Amino acid sequence: MPRPPTDGPVEKQALTTTSEARKPRSDGSPTNALAADLTRQLGPRKVLHQLSERLNYRYDAIQFGVTPLAVVLPESTADVVAAVKAARAAGVPVVGRGAGSGLSGGSAPMQEALVIAFTRMTALQVFPERREAVAQPGVITLKVTEAARPHGLIYPPDPASFRTSTIGGNLAENAGGPMCLKYGVTGDYVTALEFVDAAGDVHRVTRDAYDLAGLLIGSEGTLGLITEATLRLIPPAKFTRTLMAHFAEVGQAAEAVSAAIAAGAVPAKLEFMDRACTNAIEDYLHLGLPRDAEAVILVDTDGNDLDTVTGELALVEQACAAAGGVTRLARDPAEADALWQARRSISPALGRIRPQRMNEDIVVPRSALPDVVREIRALGDASGFHLVQFGHIGDGNLHPNIMFDPRTESPQAVHDLAHRIALVALRHGGVLSGEHGIGTMKRDFMTDALDPATLDALRDVKRALDPAGTLNPGKILPDPQTPEAPHAHP
Amino acid sequence: MNHDIPVLTLGAQGEVMAHAVDACVHCGFCLPACPTYALLGDEMDSPRGRIVLMKEVLEGHLALPDAAPHLDRCLGCQGCVTACPSGVPYGELITAFRGWSEPQRARSPLDRAKRWAILKALPAPKLFSVAARLGQHAKPLAPVLPAALRGPLDLLPERVPAMQPSPAVTAARGQRRGRVALLAGCAQQALAPNFNAATLRVLARNGIEVVIPDGQGCCGAAALHTGARDEALRLVRTNLRAFNPDDYDAILSNAAGCGAGLKEYPVVLHGLPDEAQARAFAAKVQDISEYLHGLLQGGILEPTLPARTPLKVAYHDACHLAHAQGVKAAPRALLRAIPGVDLVEIPEGDLCCGSAGTYNLEQPELAAQLGGRKARNILGTAPDLIASGNIGCHTQIQSHVRRQGSPVPVMHTVEVLDLAYRGEL
Repeated sequence: MPRPPTDGPVEKQALTTTSEARKPRSDGSPTNALAADLTRQLGPRKVLHQLSERLNYRYDAIQFGVTPLAVVLPESTADVVAAVKAARAAGVPVVGRGAGSGLSGGSAPMQEALVIAFTRMTALQVFPERREAVAQPGVITLKVTEAARPHGLIYPPDPASFRTSTIGGNLAENAGGPMCLKYGVTGDYVTALEFVDAAGDVHRVTRDAYDLAGLLIGSEGTLGLITEATLRLIPPAKFTRTLMAHFAEVGQAAEAVSAAIAAGAVPAKLEFMDRACTNAIEDYLHLGLPRDAEAVILVDTDGNDLDTVTGELALVEQACAAAGGVTRLARDPAEADALWQARRSISPALGRIRPQRMNEDIVVPRSALPDVVREIRALGDASGFHLVQFGHIGDGNLHPNIMFDPRTESPQAVHDLAHRIALVALRHGGVLSGEHGIGTMKRDFMTDALDPATLDALRDVKRALDPAGTLNPGKILPDPQTPEAPHAHP
Repeated sequence: MNHDIPVLTLGAQGEVMAHAVDACVHCGFCLPACPTYALLGDEMDSPRGRIVLMKEVLEGHLALPDAAPHLDRCLGCQGCVTACPSGVPYGELITAFRGWSEPQRARSPLDRAKRWAILKALPAPKLFSVAARLGQHAKPLAPVLPAALRGPLDLLPERVPAMQPSPAVTAARGQRRGRVALLAGCAQQALAPNFNAATLRVLARNGIEVVIPDGQGCCGAAALHTGARDEALRLVRTNLRAFNPDDYDAILSNAAGCGAGLKEYPVVLHGLPDEAQARAFAAKVQDISEYLHGLLQGGILEPTLPARTPLKVAYHDACHLAHAQGVKAAPRALLRAIPGVDLVEIPEGDLCCGSAGTYNLEQPELAAQLGGRKARNILGTAPDLIASGNIGCHTQIQSHVRRQGSPVPVMHTVEVLDLAYRGEL
């Protein structure tokens, strides 16, 4: 597990915190000077200060952090500016938050902080003539496509959580999703950003010059708070075909993927899940997925020319068959939708196996996929933990997850296994994060992934935009004073 | 989610609660399914937030009165249960929590009196009928009454129908194909006696003998979901005595809320002596639409006459049917089986209408916002008729559809079938 921060308790393990914030009963008035100041400036509706309210802004979908001192629910950029300035005056760090569906601890505060939760900044405009949408950060991701579709346009980035997650959170993590194999990730669809910096100043940036927008995207709220984004929209493909294939061994699935892409197929989506995932999903959706298969892959090919679409699907089908797989075409769009709903539900459905998990987000070259999935499978088998694998295999973006129960299994051993998995990726020329960010979960591994000079360059960037280190502290960059992470694998 | 809930000191209901908290991976997939999150946009009024609040209270880290306002705003619609990939039994959690916490609540005398009146009047059809009649006469006074009284008055129909006592036994027409027991329902008997009358006619027409067992009472769901656990246990045991599951092919309810309540008996009695009996009972419980759908699938549902003119029917999923009982396909299939019916889906169909048991009385503002939103969504489909399977939704939707100036009729699914059988649809 991520090491405990030096400056505050982390409510991760048993949630029996001794945080001073806990008290028997709040009396209804702001409990600290910052909350009082914010309430005075923004009014009571936009500021949460009661313990019962603040407790609920300390977690994301993977981690519990420290209960914030106050929470602001801004309704405009001006509210964000006021909140950042008030926090700065009080010497309190600021943590931005969308819907809290992130999977790397990105929006869980690691010390007593002001949380700015963007769920009420939901303005969204579509400009079909220039194929763009302008969204505030609290807009639910799926709503962008829903608003664009009547104009014959879509917004392709589609993280599994797209019914829940917000554009702001997607930008902070540079989220991906199944469609990203062919269409690219969130960052590829941003043409301009408005953000509030650590001093509370507002900036509007585009993708030229130093591409400051590109720097903000994927910075996990550590460089600035995005308050508006201009997003690119595209017309959807006219035809889509869906195929499912299952295999007796995970490596075979990876071989099929490598072969299909080498043969020239450019699927719109190419995903895989192992046996544990398939079974967790079956328990939830009862779709009749092959429970006995060790790996299942799901593929969409799409385009405006039906011959090309079916031709590409045939390439994938042949590659699967050559690797020993059994293929099945979705009969109709409803069956295809059900299969993709299954894929989207994997991550949360895994909770059926164990109450807690360590989520990896590695990306490796496609040519290395068969070796990587086999090595990770072997590490899992040897560890005695429930290790499952799924992910955007067409991108080489894999999500090995270690499922565990902290009451009976050692979080230290989980961390060690996660570290060994990260090292497998790095050894094969891979990286630590494809779409979920580094957050706190993979922060310890950054010293393995980057050389000291590069890490220093990242620290220089952070210092340039956030000199006092008040924006989402404790994320991404390991502490320079202790380069050896305390839980590092021996 | 990890927890330190003291299961040993909380007993069997503590196990139920701890299991639910354990199962939550706080992924947030429940957020878009939650009506109060849709209205308020804050985490503590979402299912995930409420689970954390209940956990903190049970662990002793948070005072109950701090958490209570957010927990009280939960409709218990269980939209989150349908949306949850991890299988968190949220409904069991909030019900058990309300039962556990209610004795510790400090409520004002007015609040206590209101709760007492609701819990006494709802399960007593005759008393409820008298109250409804009085209320009907008080309706013109509504604008000058306090909000707490205005809410319930708004929901009363313009004319409260006369009580129609149902016969103890309704014989099957033609060859007898089955024998079922029917839960007569409480408020429904007073507000919509035709629901039962139509149910008896449709079942008889299909060769099903219907018994309304003597000695039955309220299903107990209203008591249970408002935390009056002792009262709920009393009602549950009354029904277990009145319905012997061995005597019937099925035990039917035509009110989604009551049906869900009946199916919940094994959880209510978890760890208590009557648990096995409750399991046998619950195994026989079906919603009227499930039972009729079984006949349809078996090819033995009598065909109806076609609608007289092509009819666009908007079907509203009652939360306690779709989410709590998982019954979505059956009523749709029954309606589609009527020639001439064009079934349309309602936008935001999974979002609660705001009725939710006693919610209209306890959270009138949120209930009204949701009711208005539901009515707008339904009327947007321009239906000729609105069908649903729950008395609570029925009154709420009717009230808000009328408020928006529409005369579209609102009917129970089985009333639609009944009309079709008679050639009057």
